[in-house]
Amino acid sequence: MSKFIIQVNGSVYGSTASFRALAFCQSALANGHQIINVFFYQDGVTNSNALTCPASDEIDMHSNWQSLSLKHTIPLTNCVSAALRRGVLSQQDATENGKPQWNSSDAFTMGGLGELVVGIEQADRLISF
Amino acid sequence: MKSLVIIFRHAPFGTTSTREGLDFAMLSASFEQQVSLVFTNEAVLHLLAGQTPEQAGSKDYVSAFKALSLYDIDTVLVCAESMTTLGVHPNDFSIAATVATPEVITKTLQAADEVLVF
Repeated sequence: MSKFIIQVNGSVYGSTASFRALAFCQSALANGHQIINVFFYQDGVTNSNALTCPASDEIDMHSNWQSLSLKHTIPLTNCVSAALRRGVLSQQDATENGKPQWNSSDAFTMGGLGELVVGIEQADRLISF
Repeated sequence: MKSLVIIFRHAPFGTTSTREGLDFAMLSASFEQQVSLVFTNEAVLHLLAGQTPEQAGSKDYVSAFKALSLYDIDTVLVCAESMTTLGVHPNDFSIAATVATPEVITKTLQAADEVLVF
């Protein structure tokens, strides 16, 4: 059994990176491996946007990540500075920056790049998408 | 501690990819990881001296490459083939970097614990 940390750099829509990352996670878990964290960096932070509203016959990556996290107790971590640059805010970020709205859902935690580095140290393998 | 190789592949200013890769490089070096950098494809253009990123609406992250030694990032490889393709010469570099053949870069990647591509 291996411990993986997953890095997602591709956006919630427009690139298939996020979908492939999710498929990798599901496959790894089904084969008895462990996912210690999914870290969202670059455009990957848009996966946490709760306002994502794809058509009903399309894949909802935001909701899929939430389900994965809930089912397998996997932390989903956004890089906060990558997120703020792209207009992806938690309620706390909105308060701190004087913004009237926020959009990142509770399933995702805002963190720093340090959490990615510590995760890489703890995991057997980093897989980036 | 793990050995991390960070590969830059994109040209300056067209995307923010290198900027975010550089942030990761410096952060992980400050977390006591052993960090090496590889510039390949159009990313070798980052090393040219005399750039003014502000004119492209970008923060001057290119200047931050000069601070790599402060973070103990001493291995900076530049792909010789990409340099030839783009007509880039080591005399044009703004920082100290080692011109490396694809074979040397391959060996560096094989020796690393993790490879991140930006």
